[in-house]
Amino acid sequence: MEPETNDPQYADIHRDVVRSIVETGPKYYAALATAIGVTLLCFFFPWFYQLYYGLGAAGVNHPQVWGTYLASFIFWIGLSHSGTLLSCVLHLSNSAWRKAMYRSAEAMTLFSLMVAATFVLVHLGRPWFIHWALPYPNQMEMWPNFRSPLLFDVMAIGTYLTGSSIFIYMGSIPDFAAVRDRTTGWRNTMYTLLSLGWRGTDTEWHRLHWAYTFLAVLIIPLAVSVHSIVSWDFALSIVPALHQTIFAPYFVVGAIFSGTAGIVTVMFVLRKYMEGFDQYITKVHFDNLGKLLLVLSLIWTYINVLELFTGWYSGTSTEYEALNYKLFGYYAPLYWEMILFCAVAPLLCISKRFRTSFVPMLILSIAVNIGMYTERFLIVGTSLSRQYLPDAWGVYVPSLVELSIILGSFALFVTLFLVFVKIFPSISMYEVKETMVIPAAEPVVPKEGSPT
Amino acid sequence: MTNYAVGLFQTPASALAAAGTLKGAGFTTPELMSPVPMEGVEEVLGEKKSVIKYFTFFGGLIGGLLGFLLAAGTAVLYVHPTGGRPIITFPPFLIITYEATILLGILFTVLGFFISARLPAIRERVYVPEAAVDKFVVTVACDDNERFKRAEAILSEAGAEQVREQSEED
Repeated sequence: MEPETNDPQYADIHRDVVRSIVETGPKYYAALATAIGVTLLCFFFPWFYQLYYGLGAAGVNHPQVWGTYLASFIFWIGLSHSGTLLSCVLHLSNSAWRKAMYRSAEAMTLFSLMVAATFVLVHLGRPWFIHWALPYPNQMEMWPNFRSPLLFDVMAIGTYLTGSSIFIYMGSIPDFAAVRDRTTGWRNTMYTLLSLGWRGTDTEWHRLHWAYTFLAVLIIPLAVSVHSIVSWDFALSIVPALHQTIFAPYFVVGAIFSGTAGIVTVMFVLRKYMEGFDQYITKVHFDNLGKLLLVLSLIWTYINVLELFTGWYSGTSTEYEALNYKLFGYYAPLYWEMILFCAVAPLLCISKRFRTSFVPMLILSIAVNIGMYTERFLIVGTSLSRQYLPDAWGVYVPSLVELSIILGSFALFVTLFLVFVKIFPSISMYEVKETMVIPAAEPVVPKEGSPT
Repeated sequence: MTNYAVGLFQTPASALAAAGTLKGAGFTTPELMSPVPMEGVEEVLGEKKSVIKYFTFFGGLIGGLLGFLLAAGTAVLYVHPTGGRPIITFPPFLIITYEATILLGILFTVLGFFISARLPAIRERVYVPEAAVDKFVVTVACDDNERFKRAEAILSEAGAEQVREQSEED
């Protein structure tokens, strides 16, 4: 039966999503080649250069031994937050608008985490000894120190990466099965294996629903713990301006804030470049994400003000100095740029007209993430450069190697995402179908004289 | 080899009604296949219980125990006194415990899902590709041709667009 309206039907979403996977145009290959090229040139080449010449190639030195690598690590972990966390919260609260965007948001989580994990390696002088951080029996009887926040990090991020991968995979099983039937060759083999023989029976849906709900319930506290633990890497030290109890919520809010902005960016790109996706990713999504950005920005601003207040109220000279340095010191322009991008600019989201305009939202989302990167840089960069003793003060400026690796990390993320959109159905078909009108809910052939 | 009567429906309501009628007519519990989770299945075909919650609970419990043992065991095996503090320090070890609880909770939930949903499928089963797109399908096992005819009649009467016979080797 022909649909009576122009609203997409079940078969349309099926067709659009399968097409987004199997039909690949030259633009995609060009984008992929560029992304891979930039990754190799800007990420891997400088990294190997640094491995060859030692960490001196990066600008980190005493007193500033934490540089952009750690800032990038926090940034990428933060960006990873919204995807799975938002998806879980919205799943449990049964929000229908989540359904068109959560798969891509979860993929963002996964790839941001992977990029973040590479920064741990990049930050190390001898990354081939990374396994020393893992707890396993070995002949040296050497065990990691579980009292260190760095070990909390290993456990938290390892768990989060595992949980996020499983969550995105479980939610995709029905869609893999749906794509399986429409593909041939190696793709068919791949989707047959990935879908595990899913048939969509009532029992399978029932089990998936419960397993997925339990996973969502487990992942929400996990996501909150991950960024809290990242904050303790700093807050458990006694560095002025870092040793604060507000740090855990500050990091968690900042992470969700930058992650939400990241989702806006990704949604814009998907909507623009994936044919047919504009039917599913609509103004409603941007409107809701805009509201979320506004709320998160206000909380973030509040915590920032609180941080300044705590420093001032502490009455200690080192805290005063750190505060003074942050507001008016060498890095002050960056601080005020962060305030402009993360506290002032998101206020535009008060206007519904702004929230439902795609390009302004894209610009805002990028601005917020520039601001959030700056925030991480300021936390890492300005604290160690002004510690207790004035003779140990110093200024840190990232080297070319570091700047190049930051740029390359974005290319790495884009590469992973481009591969993702060709393997995973980037919109959750079955959940979008759920939000649609059931096909031909009226009787198939209306009887003569019936009111319909 | 078991034969199945397979009815394809346009709407979930008619598929559910057909499944209910089949069950009432003495057939083995029919199976529904659908592109989206269907509502009201349990009212018609009886309540479904899953064991996943036990997997999640015990997974979390085992994870918590193992996590604490890992951290405390390490501290005991390689004693490293700091500032006269206890060797088994609860605040940091509870964080490890917390993360391990969630990790094993997640892994066991997945295991529970696979076991209770019988995935991955290791044998061929009746499958209708249309059910992944936009059709709601009812399948029911029929021992002989006579029962198939009855099932076919019930399915057609309930508004099935198409009724097929499929065997498990299909």
